Amino acid sequence: MGPLSREAWAQRLVAFRTSPSAFMAGADGEDLGRNLLNDLRSEKLTEQTKVSLLSLSLEYPAELWPDPPAAEAAATSLLDALVLLPPRPSALRKPLLLAATTVLVTGGVLSPTSGASCRLLPLLLGLASGRDVGRGFGPISEQRPLQATACECLRELESCKPGLLGGLLGLLRSLLGQEGPIQPLSLLLALSLRDTLVIQSRSGVGLQGLLVSGVSSEGGSWDWTLAEEGAAHLLPQAPSWPTPNEGECGLAVLEPSPEEARELRAAVAQLLDTSYLLTPVAQAQLLWLLGWALRGLRGQPPALFKPQLVRLLGTAQLTLLHAVLALKAAFGEALFTAQDEALLLRRLTLAAQHPSLPLPTHLFYLHCLLSFPENWPLGPEGEEAAPLLLGPQLCRSLMPSLLHDPMALLARLHLLCLLCAEEEEEDKGQLQSPRQYLEELLAGLRQRAALDGSPRALATLCFQASYLVAICLVGQTKVLTPLIHGLAQLYRARPMLAPHLVDFLDQVSPELGEPLKRVLQQEVVSRPGRPEALRWHLQMLAKVAEGDAQSAILSFLQAAAAHCTDWRLQQALLRVCRALLQAGGGNGLTHLLQVLARQLEDPDGRDHARLYYILLAHLAGPKLGVALDPSLAAPTLASSLVAENQGFAVTLIVQETPAPIRLSVGPRMPKGPLPVLQLHIEALEPIYSLELRFRVEGQLYAPLGAIHVPYLCPGHPAHSLFLPLQPRHPAPTQLEVQALYSTPAGLTCHAPLPPLSVNFEDLFLPFPQPPDGVEQGFFEGLWDSCLPKGAESRVWCPLKSQGLETLVSRHLEPFVIVAQAPNNYHIAIRLPPASMLLLRLEAAQVDGVPVALRTDDWAILPLAGDYLRGLAGTE
Amino acid sequence: MLQPLTMALRAVWLIRHEPGTPLCGSVRFSRRYPTVEKRAKIFNGVSYVPVPEDGPFLKALLFELRLLDDDKDFVESRDSCSHINKTSIYGLPIGGKELWPVVAFLRNGMIYASVPLVEQTLSPHPPLISISGISQGLQLLFSIQDFLYLGQKTDSELNTKLSQLPDLLLQACPFGTLLNANIQNLLDNSNFASVTQPQKQPAWKAGTYKGKPQVSISITEKVKSMQYDKQDIGDTWQVVGAVTCKCDLEGIMPNVTISLSLPTNGSPLQDILVHPCVTSLDSAILTSSSIDAMDDSAFSGPYKFPFTPPLESFNLCYYTSQVPVPPILGFYQMKEEEVQLKIAVNLKLHESVKNNFEFCEAHIPFYNRGPITHLEYKVSFGQLEVFREKGLLVWIIGQKFPKSMEISLSGTVTFGAKSHDKQPFDQICIGGTAYVKLHFKILDYTLTGCYADQHSVQVFASGKPKINTHRKLISSDFYIWNSKAPAPVTYGSLFL
Repeated sequence: MGPLSREAWAQRLVAFRTSPSAFMAGADGEDLGRNLLNDLRSEKLTEQTKVSLLSLSLEYPAELWPDPPAAEAAATSLLDALVLLPPRPSALRKPLLLAATTVLVTGGVLSPTSGASCRLLPLLLGLASGRDVGRGFGPISEQRPLQATACECLRELESCKPGLLGGLLGLLRSLLGQEGPIQPLSLLLALSLRDTLVIQSRSGVGLQGLLVSGVSSEGGSWDWTLAEEGAAHLLPQAPSWPTPNEGECGLAVLEPSPEEARELRAAVAQLLDTSYLLTPVAQAQLLWLLGWALRGLRGQPPALFKPQLVRLLGTAQLTLLHAVLALKAAFGEALFTAQDEALLLRRLTLAAQHPSLPLPTHLFYLHCLLSFPENWPLGPEGEEAAPLLLGPQLCRSLMPSLLHDPMALLARLHLLCLLCAEEEEEDKGQLQSPRQYLEELLAGLRQRAALDGSPRALATLCFQASYLVAICLVGQTKVLTPLIHGLAQLYRARPMLAPHLVDFLDQVSPELGEPLKRVLQQEVVSRPGRPEALRWHLQMLAKVAEGDAQSAILSFLQAAAAHCTDWRLQQALLRVCRALLQAGGGNGLTHLLQVLARQLEDPDGRDHARLYYILLAHLAGPKLGVALDPSLAAPTLASSLVAENQGFAVTLIVQETPAPIRLSVGPRMPKGPLPVLQLHIEALEPIYSLELRFRVEGQLYAPLGAIHVPYLCPGHPAHSLFLPLQPRHPAPTQLEVQALYSTPAGLTCHAPLPPLSVNFEDLFLPFPQPPDGVEQGFFEGLWDSCLPKGAESRVWCPLKSQGLETLVSRHLEPFVIVAQAPNNYHIAIRLPPASMLLLRLEAAQVDGVPVALRTDDWAILPLAGDYLRGLAGTE
Repeated sequence: MLQPLTMALRAVWLIRHEPGTPLCGSVRFSRRYPTVEKRAKIFNGVSYVPVPEDGPFLKALLFELRLLDDDKDFVESRDSCSHINKTSIYGLPIGGKELWPVVAFLRNGMIYASVPLVEQTLSPHPPLISISGISQGLQLLFSIQDFLYLGQKTDSELNTKLSQLPDLLLQACPFGTLLNANIQNLLDNSNFASVTQPQKQPAWKAGTYKGKPQVSISITEKVKSMQYDKQDIGDTWQVVGAVTCKCDLEGIMPNVTISLSLPTNGSPLQDILVHPCVTSLDSAILTSSSIDAMDDSAFSGPYKFPFTPPLESFNLCYYTSQVPVPPILGFYQMKEEEVQLKIAVNLKLHESVKNNFEFCEAHIPFYNRGPITHLEYKVSFGQLEVFREKGLLVWIIGQKFPKSMEISLSGTVTFGAKSHDKQPFDQICIGGTAYVKLHFKILDYTLTGCYADQHSVQVFASGKPKINTHRKLISSDFYIWNSKAPAPVTYGSLFL
């Protein structure tokens, strides 16, 4: 494909900028980066178009060349384009240098192994040092701007790879002393000096003469040693604004040799002495860099900065004053005596309200005042506080007034609150104390918010101010009491501010919130006001309705119900009912809900009221509280009832969960009129009101009763339960088991448990023991009664190592009628509901015993046979 | 840990606020700095939130600044009382995370926004004072604002300037680190001879001036006042001065010293802020402050400012001053009588003030009421213009007060029904709270008496320069409040 036209590129660039992600996902996305590089060399495009292509690669390299190989290739291509430029003035050299630098950094390919890096770095260094770099670098008039650009590129590379220029400190210094462009070189030297100091101090070595070393990399290879060490420190950073008293923090302490210290001092002094030649923003950068570089260095008195301060304190240039504050934070008392600190604070106070400065600057300085790096701070670190030296006199000029912009008002109000907090102890009954002023200001804010038609922003401001006062002046009843009444009055004047008050109540502490709730509740029920305010009153009551004034609220609601003609109002009304339900309900509420369930026009509302009524009638207080606890989602569905149900389905509808219960069958207990299954139960979590339900497939057994356990707690020994079985036929079966229980959180849960097996032998019951001496006759009587309607069989019951005696005592002991140990046993087993199984075990041999068996129910013969044959296997 | 402290910006935007359009605004310019973004990702760690595309950024910023047209309902994320912003630095919800810090402000319908690099984790937010990029970000935005609005009048001029921005930012801020906050200067550079001498060339001065040497010094004082005519509330007034210089001098570093002087009964200059090119300051200038109680010992000049001038016109210094009396003292009485308002205004020019105005007007607005339907009035001097729909009376006093120095206006005003769309809501003028605002300008005059004497200007450069000086006084926020109703007071008013 040939190069695109200028217009086509212009369109593409606009489309790309509108949404880079959408463009890259589209048809042209994939080729954009490649086309861009190709067309940079096209002779058909103007320089202007190429500049716009390059500015795209300056801004979106990661989108154009997303992976390292692509970035490396792109950087190479950009460098090729640079070299191929004809030797005449061109607007492309600078953006090409910037673009190549950007692509190397963002592609993450800046390293000794990258070919493009190894081309770019010497090129930049050559340009920065004003050397002849050969072909394509145009006329002399372009050399100087390119020298500055190369310095900027190097600085950016050093920023992204600290230590990269560590080996060039000496060279940079000598360039600065000659005729190099002062600002780019100063900043470059300051940055690499700082990075080198940090990296070297970490490895515990000094500057090792780096500051005085000569030009080393001419022709030679680049020194990456420091950059590799620096990379280890380029990690997510913890907060690092220093406090003056923490000593030599942050940097490891580096103790340079006297010689190094002298060189370092000379280099810093050289930078500072010419700093006035830098633009103010660059001066500020230099001061931050050098301040941080020298902090923590022994033998480097910060006095070097002193001459600069005298010059800088007179200006209110934002970046410069900020840099002075940074020096203050870095060196504290070592650079700023108490008088200096006071002067700085005065200048800051002055700048924070100077009519000639713009609002964002005022606001920033106000912030700086409350975070002022004091020499000897008293309060806890990191908390906004008025500095000690900022007395009432200084504060006076920073008081808020209604005429201020909202942000300025809030910032100044914060200061006023801090002043009021200090005033508390020494209330001198002045004519106009700060507290009184604060009250008047808040009253003014409320007055504005109360006005019909005033914008929402004013109400927001009023509540933000009130909130600020509430959190700064906790416990100051002299302030908070009028605030509470003022807000109630505001509500009376403009009930549509209910959402603000509800939000306010959500945010403030109960100390203020509880009395405010009471006052607001009183306000609503005592002054029903206009019907259009009803919606807001109901919203307010839903927040503030609490136990103690139920009757007043109920009569308000009763009266209101008549006006609740539309769905929204009915919902609002029901939400108050819900709040009352949550607070415990009461008789009056029962009545009201009944009335609502009959009278509300909207069926949804009626259903809703009925639901509440049912809940109130059927659930105990605590359960009701829990059931209604989840916050009600806004009813977006057609029916609010559905939405509500979604809300507390969680609590009222039983939850399906995996069971935190282990249930097992214990040893058999053959006695009594019916077979009883002994169960062992263990809980893995505390559970309450456990109900175990059992069900038998088909009609084999009569329905089984449930078992109730009041409380189970993990860690306790297994609990035994007894489940009576009522078989209709003496047959084994499986029981389905389900558990229903409450959790400590009040949720009701349902859990299916693994099925339990009821074996044939579990149904065995003994016959009543006949009187002594007639046992044989009793057995023979039973034996004879089985036939003819019953069945008879003979089975070989294998015996392994155990003898017959052991086998009988283990499994059949309770049923033995006649025993002639060890070889002959007559056994009679009752099988509910009405069957029996008789066994004659006679003349046992070593490996088995022949068993004659009879039963009156032929259907159990196979079961009995299986049982007997299986006995040996159970050993 | 290693803090590179590179004071860089991750992105810059200019957004035109367009109320009434579907999006309520459009991005007019944006610039991203991917190498800085790369560092942000490393330094912010898990708290890193990428700079969003223009669309989502626009939406989130307008919402946060309350510039969408949906102010009607309470929205918790914006209107909650705990969502307090006390600076021009915001956190924007973007894709479920918070982009912070976003430096942004609105001026003349344009929103200026940038995201500075924070070289540490963002959670919890570090204090703003510890982030070097905050002041740099604000400074860049101020520079762009100055550039866009310097002499710009029409939309097409604005568009031209916007189209120049990408190139200019490539020079002023190539990698997101601001190098030169004087953007206009970068554009004007071509007008000056570039320097080839090996001597030290300041970075803030791209070339040297060639031509006839001259120095212009212009002192502009603005006077503001709040007058209440009440027993318990003191009136306040203040002078704010700005001294603008343009030094056309040959040589790389010409030194200039300008002295501002006061007449014997002049009012001392206070709260003096100087341009960064001023090389040293007397400590008396540094400490003279309006915060302190005034006494006779206050430093009263001459105020010497030694400096090395840049090429362009610049503000040498700003000051404030507390003059003993306001230039015009007045009262305003407004009372609601049944359906009409009864008003009376009285103004008196102080005898010490030069009675020679370029213009002098008193504006009497009636807020939160309907249009003026009927007016009866009497003025002792000047003419009254009535803007019925706006609910505004303008009393044109003209060039001179009469010999008595005192003038008055009285009358009754009746209003029609209020319609909300035509009459914007005023937050202050509620009920009887109302004001008269004075607008005036006096040439060749300062209220403090401050002047720059031609002979006191010292120039250390080749050739004797011609020195021009100008002075003017203009009113700014000069309010006379209705004394028959509550009026907004400042803290200072309560201490007199």
